[in-house]
Amino acid sequence: MLDRSSPPAILLDNVHLSLGQGPSRVHILQGVNLLIPRGEAVGLVGPSGSGKSTLLMVLAGLERADQGQVSIDGQDLLKLDEDGLARFRGRRIGIVFQSFHLIPTMTALENVAVPLELGGKANAFERAEQELQAVGLGHRLSHYPGQLSGGEQQRVALARALAPDPAILVADEPTGNLDEATGNQIIDLLFKLKSERGATLVLVTHDLNLAKRCDRMVRIRAGLIESDSMVR
Amino acid sequence: MTLEALAGEATPARKASSSWQAIQTISRILRFVKRDLRGGIKGFGIFIACIAIGVGAITAVGSVSRTLTDSLAREGRVILGADAAFVTIQREATAEELQWLGTKGKLAPVAYLRGMVRADDGNAVLVESKAVDSLWPAHGKAVTAPSLPIQDLLAERDGVFGAVADPLLFARLNLKVGDTVTFGERRIALRAELITEPDKLAGGIGFGPRLLLSEAALRASGLLQPGSLMRWSYRITLPGEAEETAVQALVTDAKTAFPQAGWDIRSRMNASPQFSKQIERFTQFLTLIGLTALMVGGVGVANATQGFVERKRPDLATLKSLGATGGFVFTLSLTQVLALALLGSLIGIVVGSAIPFALVSVFGHLLPLPLNVQWQGGEVLRGLAYGLLTTLAFAVWPLGRAHDVPVSGLFRDALEPDNRWPRWRYILMTVLAVTALVGLAIVFAWDRRIAMLYVAAAAAAFLLLRLVGVGVMRLARRLPRPRQAEARLALANLHRPGALTPSVVLSLGLGLTLLVALGLIDTNLRQQLTGSLAAKAPSFFFMDIPNADANRFDAFLKSQDSDVTIERVPMMRGRIIAVKGIPAETYKASENAAWVLEGDRGITYAEQIPANSRIIRGEWWPVGYRGRPLVSMTREIAEGLGLNLGDEITVNVLGRNITVQIASIRAVEWTSFGINFVMVFSPNTFAGAPHTHLATLTFAKPPASIEESKLARAVSLAFPAVSSVRIRDVLQTASEWVGQLTLAMRGASAIALISSILVLAGALAAGQAARIKDAVVMKTLGATRRQLFMAYLMEYGLLGAVTAVFGLFAGTAAAYGIITQVMRLPFGMDWSVAFSSLAVALLVTVILGLIGTWRILGQKPAPYLREL
Repeated sequence: MLDRSSPPAILLDNVHLSLGQGPSRVHILQGVNLLIPRGEAVGLVGPSGSGKSTLLMVLAGLERADQGQVSIDGQDLLKLDEDGLARFRGRRIGIVFQSFHLIPTMTALENVAVPLELGGKANAFERAEQELQAVGLGHRLSHYPGQLSGGEQQRVALARALAPDPAILVADEPTGNLDEATGNQIIDLLFKLKSERGATLVLVTHDLNLAKRCDRMVRIRAGLIESDSMVR
Repeated sequence: MTLEALAGEATPARKASSSWQAIQTISRILRFVKRDLRGGIKGFGIFIACIAIGVGAITAVGSVSRTLTDSLAREGRVILGADAAFVTIQREATAEELQWLGTKGKLAPVAYLRGMVRADDGNAVLVESKAVDSLWPAHGKAVTAPSLPIQDLLAERDGVFGAVADPLLFARLNLKVGDTVTFGERRIALRAELITEPDKLAGGIGFGPRLLLSEAALRASGLLQPGSLMRWSYRITLPGEAEETAVQALVTDAKTAFPQAGWDIRSRMNASPQFSKQIERFTQFLTLIGLTALMVGGVGVANATQGFVERKRPDLATLKSLGATGGFVFTLSLTQVLALALLGSLIGIVVGSAIPFALVSVFGHLLPLPLNVQWQGGEVLRGLAYGLLTTLAFAVWPLGRAHDVPVSGLFRDALEPDNRWPRWRYILMTVLAVTALVGLAIVFAWDRRIAMLYVAAAAAAFLLLRLVGVGVMRLARRLPRPRQAEARLALANLHRPGALTPSVVLSLGLGLTLLVALGLIDTNLRQQLTGSLAAKAPSFFFMDIPNADANRFDAFLKSQDSDVTIERVPMMRGRIIAVKGIPAETYKASENAAWVLEGDRGITYAEQIPANSRIIRGEWWPVGYRGRPLVSMTREIAEGLGLNLGDEITVNVLGRNITVQIASIRAVEWTSFGINFVMVFSPNTFAGAPHTHLATLTFAKPPASIEESKLARAVSLAFPAVSSVRIRDVLQTASEWVGQLTLAMRGASAIALISSILVLAGALAAGQAARIKDAVVMKTLGATRRQLFMAYLMEYGLLGAVTAVFGLFAGTAAAYGIITQVMRLPFGMDWSVAFSSLAVALLVTVILGLIGTWRILGQKPAPYLREL
């Protein structure tokens, strides 16, 4: 259920971003405008190099826009410094990567507990355990990432992203490193948990079928939004 | 057999392969190695530095030592001042002996006598006088300032003999060239400073500065009395360039012609045995330090190799997927590592070989020995062998894992680190390399017992440090989770897979243990010399008190200050000729007792058992004993010579061989500073023999320096023949000497410490990429810079503290053992050493650890995430 009464979950206004130095500098985002209400699931699609992952990084506070307004969950990200962004991410944004990015020397439980520990939650490990049980990994708590399959690793990453109960969930090609069956399981889980928590989801994907499972599909090309349409 | 076959993939077809195939395999491996090294030697900087430092230290020590021993051998004639020297103690050669010696070659007598030189202001200084004939120096060149012919400087002019002296004498008595002083009963003019004395080493090291004068001047001084502790060296130079066999024949003939002479014979082949021994001892010590550096560096080698295998896993798996065997992959990796070890060894060899040239050009003039530096091929080969064997000992184990890198890993996202044991053949290769390394260290050691002890201690230290590392990880795992997130992260980092704990504890622990042990030995020795010992030591030793003046001397001291304690004993010099009927030069003595058989020793006789000693075996002779000559020996020497009660030794005193029986064995409290001797004879042994006395004087209350100076001046004036030694000066000199020695030891140990820190830096750097990745992910998950900083600070702080505590315990235990068991002194803890070591460990670990992570703290995660 979308919440249109409160401020939008994501508001991007004329966002520009260039990366690189000197002659190799590339103007990636060239004035992106995007408004996503709370609770909406948005699929970001587009060809490689179109800027969709960069856009995801901007709205996750991992990349700072050169120009424009970036407001996430009512917070203007451009007003936050490096540590302010980190704290904000820890509380309000959950991120799922294509390559999982689990810390290899930590067990599954420890990986999931990290954002809770950093946020000063007293019962970090209990909550982490609950999250792992929620993704079906209650029996893999003390396993290290190297001892888990790709699908299991992505489920740990999903549990980690959801553990702090974020308002926004962003996922960058979450099934890119998984086989079709495992990928489908992860996506089912992602949408299920998103619905249960009422989080806003931004999903970057090349897979149009996957994008069509979202409420809305935004197509990016050459750093600009080419089309923006409701799927259902 | 091909390298692949050697590495284990020995199929029958390969076993039968021709040498051509072997060449092809080698060339293929070298091609691969060359390709791989094109990418640079990233990750191997510490590896190369560790090998270079260890090999450099060992090559430098070996080359310097070889330069000194070669120079000693080559310049034997100059150092000895002759081809052979026949030394008599407390007596001049007989007319018969002189006549015989004179027929063998050019004879040049030189006399040595300790005495006091008194300035006109009453101050006196103990000197080692040396009286020479008109032909001195027969070999080499003496340098004086001003530079004038020696014979002119020593000549008698207007009834005053001339002399030249060590600049130290001028400084101590505040004199200048041309001043006159009193030596014995004569005035002598100090006409020049003695800068270089070519035969200085042959004379041994004495108490005071050198005073060089003519034989006539010494005789005129009145100091040559029966019983005086003089030493005459009758030097023979054979005609022409005499062969060594001719010199040896002269020595043998002299022994046969005069079996009772009791002379100490030196040949040019063995001109300064004491100096040779010092060189060997110092070489061994420094080689062990070099080996420690290499051992510590070995940890760096292992770490770097482990990192190399981990980095290369995908490449090696790819090679295997393309048909390479496990053996090929291992051989390829080993060849690369050995190529880099060769590079490190070559750097070490070049630097190590250059050091003797540099040292001689800077400090060569300070050594009493003409030095001829050469490229020492043997030492270079030894350094190379150490470098390559250390590499094999530490690298084969981690490289063995490359054999079994699974190709299936390529189909997973990441190839996980592998901590399994390698195959048996690699374990066997490691064992062989370690055995060869240990064998090399022991075979080339001067004292193999010490080398074996060192190897055992090094193995124990490695094992202990490994156990400490594992123990710390287990403890950290079991501790309750701290409430604070940063502390929780720090604690967890101590025990996670791939944690830095074992590497840091091992690399820093070894260096720190060495630092603490040396620091505590230094402070304890100095404390003893300037504190405890000084407090109970007498104020003066008086030597060479003529027998006839002994009672008058006691009375004189009492008249100066009635509240003094005087202890006086007769003293002579004697040389052990035979032990249990076996000539001393062929007798096998333990290392700690061999010195007693070398040259002459102070001896005494006594009716009563000396103070500060107790009989532990046998009995003391009764008062007025008139039977067979007896001797009482100290426990350490009796044990070192393998002597028991009833055994016989033959001693030459005043040109007479006396065979005595061991009646008792004593334990002596040497640190009491009472007068004691290794050998105390029954009084009837030397009845009627001329001798002097040795006395100590202790004030009732600690005297002021000025009172001591006053007494020294009075004694020197009233008893010109008596040599006074102020203990305060001796202890001060000894303390300074200990300070310099420990400074030198610390300097040498710095090599091991540098290796230790390098390895630590390497271990920290090896984990840096993973750390940065973790930090980026954690920042993505909400970690602030402060949180990360605090977590790392706590982690490195905990690691440093744990290592420091271990180093403190191990170093203190080592110092305690050396001080109480080897030196037999009381041990005192110095907390400043403890705390400064703790601070060093903490600072080094935290600073090196944070240097790497600091960079990431201010970085945005996005650029890293793109690369991950």
